[in-house]
Amino acid sequence: MTTRRFIIEPRGLASLRLTILIPLASVAAALVVGAIFLALTGDNPYTVYKHMVDTAFGNSRGLSETLVSATPLILTGLAAAVAFKMLVWNIGGEGQFLLGAIFSSGIAIAMGSGTPAAIAIPAVIIAGALGGALWASIAAIPRVYLGTNEIITTLMLNFIALNLMNYLIFGSKSPWRDPAVSTFPSGRPIPESFRLTEFFKRLDVGIFIAVAVALVAWFLLSRTRWGFEVRVVGDSAETARYAGISVPRKILGVFLLSGAFAGLAGGLWVAGPVGALDPRSLDLGFGFTGIIVAALARLNPVAVIPVAVLMGALNNAGPSLQSIGVPPEIVTMLQGAILIFAVGGEFFIANRIRKPEVSAAATPAEATA
Amino acid sequence: MNDSQLILTIFAAMALGTPLIFATVGEIITERAGILNLGVQGTMLVGAVSGFWATFETGSLVLGVVVSMIAGAVFSMIHAFASITLRVSQIVSGLALTIFGTGLASFLGKAGSDPLVGEPSREQFLPLLRAGTGLADLPVAGPLIFGHDILIYVAWLVAGAASYYLFHTRMGLSLRAVGEDPASAESAGVNVAWVRYAHVMIGGALAGLGGAYFSLALTPTWVDNPIGAAGWIAIALVILASWRPWRAVFAAYLFGAAERVQFTLQTLGEPWSDIPSTILAMLPFVLAIVAMILLTSGKRARFLGAPAALGIPYFREQR
Repeated sequence: MTTRRFIIEPRGLASLRLTILIPLASVAAALVVGAIFLALTGDNPYTVYKHMVDTAFGNSRGLSETLVSATPLILTGLAAAVAFKMLVWNIGGEGQFLLGAIFSSGIAIAMGSGTPAAIAIPAVIIAGALGGALWASIAAIPRVYLGTNEIITTLMLNFIALNLMNYLIFGSKSPWRDPAVSTFPSGRPIPESFRLTEFFKRLDVGIFIAVAVALVAWFLLSRTRWGFEVRVVGDSAETARYAGISVPRKILGVFLLSGAFAGLAGGLWVAGPVGALDPRSLDLGFGFTGIIVAALARLNPVAVIPVAVLMGALNNAGPSLQSIGVPPEIVTMLQGAILIFAVGGEFFIANRIRKPEVSAAATPAEATA
Repeated sequence: MNDSQLILTIFAAMALGTPLIFATVGEIITERAGILNLGVQGTMLVGAVSGFWATFETGSLVLGVVVSMIAGAVFSMIHAFASITLRVSQIVSGLALTIFGTGLASFLGKAGSDPLVGEPSREQFLPLLRAGTGLADLPVAGPLIFGHDILIYVAWLVAGAASYYLFHTRMGLSLRAVGEDPASAESAGVNVAWVRYAHVMIGGALAGLGGAYFSLALTPTWVDNPIGAAGWIAIALVILASWRPWRAVFAAYLFGAAERVQFTLQTLGEPWSDIPSTILAMLPFVLAIVAMILLTSGKRARFLGAPAALGIPYFREQR
């Protein structure tokens, strides 16, 4: 064997400290990358970042908007987390989110303004989740029963969903379209009883639903037999088959659950801040950002909550940057960079690096830099 | 539909398919090495903005193309490092590349005191032979074979060269071995990591070139996201082309036609022009899903030629 400067070997179980430190380091590293690009294009990174923090957390309005944006991200983050945990590559959160929005606004418009809130709110929630799960099933059923690669099918379904929404608003006189506005097509406002109650500026009770779903998902995955079996399938489908677990049914279940989470996010977004099927307020990339949330949270449903708040803060801060002449896309860049470093950081969580000449027992090797 | 409309449609489908050929052939080469790169969309955008910028600054189309390819190659190294050296999830790493690249391209297009956005390109790719001169004047064959800009012919050349390289050279054999069975390739003396790095880079360069075709030929003005969903379509086309460069040419033209169909139907009048454009815009994506289900279900993907080690990190120590 050739002499090496260091040895890389798999870690058994990474320490809790490390699993928190590395995601934090990913965010820091992404901020450094962003700072380099900001400096290169003639902006002071400190001024820009300070403006972002002030916008996202500096006052009650900013904080409220950050949490408004975090609400769907908790759910799309969960959608990616539960799927990826089982190596189901559902990249279709975007489309499932839109179908959730289409279904929940559809049921609200169909049931009409006479519906009492006690029926209306459960209806939008169920419709949203159902819309997302149905849209996911278009990719999930071929995946489970025919072995069709779901990465591409879920992705393509995103674009079909986007065009479907545009068809309902721009391309037709569908019930979703507001007949009162003739100048520029927009979504018909859903009846008031279907709207979620706001309690802190624009922040509505949807955030409690999202947090509750995250806690239930955590419980389901880590404390139930179903969750245990899901984790076995995620680790090794072979093992699961030998243990008598029905792998196809587990995959289908997780896939649809993932779609339901993303669809619920769309439903709550319509019943909450938007109040209509409005393409301009729905095509905001919540599905893709959910993948970043899941990766940075290391697929842990509870960790998804704080990470969603961080991403919500970035989303919230983005548009305000235009006032100081900085393109808001710096936020997408930062989010992408965070994901790059977070996925790279998995290497340091999974492996330890040590010097070959020192015996392994003598050094509690920590090579995390 | 009369003949001239048919010819116009095919002509446009070839132009729209050309960036898809570059990106798809690039991804075929990358996947043949066993690396799945979902960062094509981001890489194309980075190529589009950097190629546009270079031509905008210098007035040279050649430089624009060269810069877009270098930018694509360098950008794809992020994915190569994550998937080959760090051996983390190729799927997540590729998505990260796309998100980062999408943001980066938009940012670079808008940043600074004198942003690119809205600026027309100083030069653009035009047909080599002007209409009405010599060969371009022939009926049918004139426009369809001789009426294009140079990059459309370069795309044919790239597909032909890639096909020859993959199936008729020693390096191509090593490449395919690495994608099929890296452990055996390694014992036969092939440096797996090196081969993978090199071919992710080639794939990135071609994706960058595909992006530049949008900003220097199809829409020679810098707009935010000039490429639509081309990078994602290219990833689907790899499978439809069953990892063979020549088939990628036909698959790309088919998808070019699917994109073009909405404009063609507009010109045909009633009842065709009544079909909403939002429905027609779904066509390429529906086509991709149907083709995926028909072609890749069950064990069929292997018979098509999917590299056996595609997407699987290679651990040298675990032989």
